[in-house]
Amino acid sequence: MAPLQLEAPSSSQARQKLEGLLNKNMRIRMTDGRTLVGLFLCTDRDCNVILGSAQEFLKSSDMFSQGEPRVLGLAMIPGHHVVSIEVEADTLADAQCFRGSH
Amino acid sequence: MVMKSSVDDDDAGWGLGIPEKMRNNVNWVDVTHEFKGACKELNLGELLHDKLFGLFEAMSAIEMMDPKMDAGMIGNQVNRKVLNFEQAVKDNAIKVRDLSLPELIGIIDTCFCCLITWLEGHSLAQTVFTCLYVHSPDLIEDPALKAFALGILKVCDIAREKVNKAAVFEEEDFQAMTYGFKMANNVTDLRVTGMLKDVEEELQRKVKSTRSRQGEQRNPEVELEHQQYLALFNRIKFIRLLLTALIAFTKKETSSVGEAQKLMAQAADLLSAIHSSIQHGIQSQNDTTKGDHPIMMGFEPLVNQRLLPPTFPRYAKIIKREDMVVYFSKLIERIKTVCDVINTINLHGILDFFCEFSEQSPCVLSRSLLQTTFLIDNKKVFGTHLMQDMIKDALRCFVSPPVLSSKCCLFNNHQAKDYIDSFVTHCSRPFCSLIQIHGHNRARQRDKLGHILEEFATLQDEAEKVDAALHGLLMKLEPQRQHLACLGTWILYHNLRIMIQYLLSGFELELYSMHEYYYIYWYLSEFLYAWLMSTLSRADSSQMAEERIAEEQQKGRSSKKAKKKKKVRPLSKEITMSQAYQNMCAGMYKTMVALDMDGKVRKPSFELDSEQVRYEHRFAPFNSVVTPPPVHYIQFKEMSDLKKYNPPPGSSDLYLAASKHFQQAKLILENVSTPDPEVNRILKVAKPNMVVMKLLAGGHKKENKVLPEFDFSVHKYFPLVKII
Repeated sequence: MAPLQLEAPSSSQARQKLEGLLNKNMRIRMTDGRTLVGLFLCTDRDCNVILGSAQEFLKSSDMFSQGEPRVLGLAMIPGHHVVSIEVEADTLADAQCFRGSH
Repeated sequence: MVMKSSVDDDDAGWGLGIPEKMRNNVNWVDVTHEFKGACKELNLGELLHDKLFGLFEAMSAIEMMDPKMDAGMIGNQVNRKVLNFEQAVKDNAIKVRDLSLPELIGIIDTCFCCLITWLEGHSLAQTVFTCLYVHSPDLIEDPALKAFALGILKVCDIAREKVNKAAVFEEEDFQAMTYGFKMANNVTDLRVTGMLKDVEEELQRKVKSTRSRQGEQRNPEVELEHQQYLALFNRIKFIRLLLTALIAFTKKETSSVGEAQKLMAQAADLLSAIHSSIQHGIQSQNDTTKGDHPIMMGFEPLVNQRLLPPTFPRYAKIIKREDMVVYFSKLIERIKTVCDVINTINLHGILDFFCEFSEQSPCVLSRSLLQTTFLIDNKKVFGTHLMQDMIKDALRCFVSPPVLSSKCCLFNNHQAKDYIDSFVTHCSRPFCSLIQIHGHNRARQRDKLGHILEEFATLQDEAEKVDAALHGLLMKLEPQRQHLACLGTWILYHNLRIMIQYLLSGFELELYSMHEYYYIYWYLSEFLYAWLMSTLSRADSSQMAEERIAEEQQKGRSSKKAKKKKKVRPLSKEITMSQAYQNMCAGMYKTMVALDMDGKVRKPSFELDSEQVRYEHRFAPFNSVVTPPPVHYIQFKEMSDLKKYNPPPGSSDLYLAASKHFQQAKLILENVSTPDPEVNRILKVAKPNMVVMKLLAGGHKKENKVLPEFDFSVHKYFPLVKII
């Protein structure tokens, strides 16, 4: 669409950054302490994230239930429950570096 | 599918794939800040996604932190450690020896409640396996609890096997998954019943030693102990009887069914004692942290939470202990009823038995037991009779075809034998399916009945051909006899029964809207019941013809005068009932037409469909049937057109006619010599409806535009019409 093209350069740059992360492995920590690992598939302005083939890991402090994760499949994490987002470093390197010069 | 893979992959996928990702050698780089910043640049409503990932895929994602979708959330929010059995034993959170009597009673009762909840369609992981003790009975040192844990596992295992084998369940009825739990397979059934028996005897000694003796000053503590021992004794005995009865059902001999029935009766005798001693057991403590599931020693509702697939009902609501005894007594009643099936020998009788049993909407276990009792290992009925022989008997009783009469020359004719044998063999599968259909839950039956009509249409075709071939043979050999439409009549009879049941079940399942009633009842009264009655009377006259020939042959041989006794015709009851049903349907049809004339039936504004579309949808399964041919909408409209009468009847004429139909039904049913509950139920509808129709015919509340009410509470197919 035309209006999109005319937007500020920063905006399209942001979009490019995010697109660079698509289909990369991502680790998201949620507000309740659980961690999900899966492929980054989709996001929006509110930072709602959809991960594919997601697996759920419990908080590491929990000694007993640590161990094997649970397979969730396609999972959407609401933006306000996202605490931290991490990506695998080597894939990041392939993806023309998200953080720019580092 | 999701459920399956999530468990199967347990060892293969999870063990290997994950540590790799979690291992520290993978460098995770935190991008939280940049990511969130970049997101803010997106437009409202804009989705940033891969080309291959669209809104459609996004829809099927489960939403984290939504309590309805996120099973993992609960386990994480509860402020207690979720321990498995070994961990709990190590932490001393759970006792494996020296359990007090109240603890044992409480644990056993909760297990019973879990068992029932499972039988009502929840998963094992959320019911029986919330009890940690059953995870590995080997760790239990208390003999009573150990024997009980093994007993309940065996009960689950046999029940599951029976239900699986009978294959009359759908996902809404039953969860067969065991989530890899061991169902006490390392111990034999006999060993478990033996252990239970030992425990029982030990308890009985305790009960006796604490019993009050004459003239003794009763110590209240001893009395309480006595009560508690008795309570435990009854519970152990109950599980043993239940288990032994289920084991009896797995045996192949018919006699074991009678044994099972006796055992169930004994179990039923224990129920009132179990009920009155529920209060002796420890109760669960409500977890105050979250207004959560009640917590009880030995139980951890969340222990299997991570075994469940991502989208799954969160908590199985375990039934209350008070309801447990009621449920058990109903279950036992049902199982006892199931055992009665072996006393019915005729195939039609068995079919009626299945129909009647299904009408009470029985549980999946009793339905499955009925199936597996009927057809053992899918070959012989009750393990003794060949299905083919059952079918031949049914044919003989229903139409007495000459080919199956030993007095007829066709009986020993090679070719005739081949014809009839191959026909009967072809019949056996559809009839087995028909009986199996009646084992499904009520809602699923309807759909399956619609489908089986196709198979019966094929049989109908074959029956007619075989009839013609046999008739040809017979004309050459015994020209005075006929073999016309014998087999055909029999198949047609079953066809009609299936079609009628298909339509009627729509009322029971509340599928029809009020404005549809009139064509459904029309189809039943004017068409299906009319066909059924002519089929029955043809079968009846075919029976009579055979009897006459038999009599004549007897006269010829001996000079004894044949007794002229007036025998009750075998089909007379069914003919009478069909007449009554037909009148009820006709009455309802005319009522509906008349109400419509008076503007008392709310009709939808057909925008995207029409009455024709609905009509065709309602009768769609009948299109595969050749005899009787389906009545298409146009034909229906022509046949039911009131303008063909001169003068066309008004609403009051129709009310009056309806009233007469109800009256007729009433008269027919009042003459039934031994009225069964069904007769009484119809009478309870026929009488008031007759009066209401008479009132309406007289113009009662004619101007009243309030819509009438249809009350199906008395009879599930025929409503009481209420004018308010």
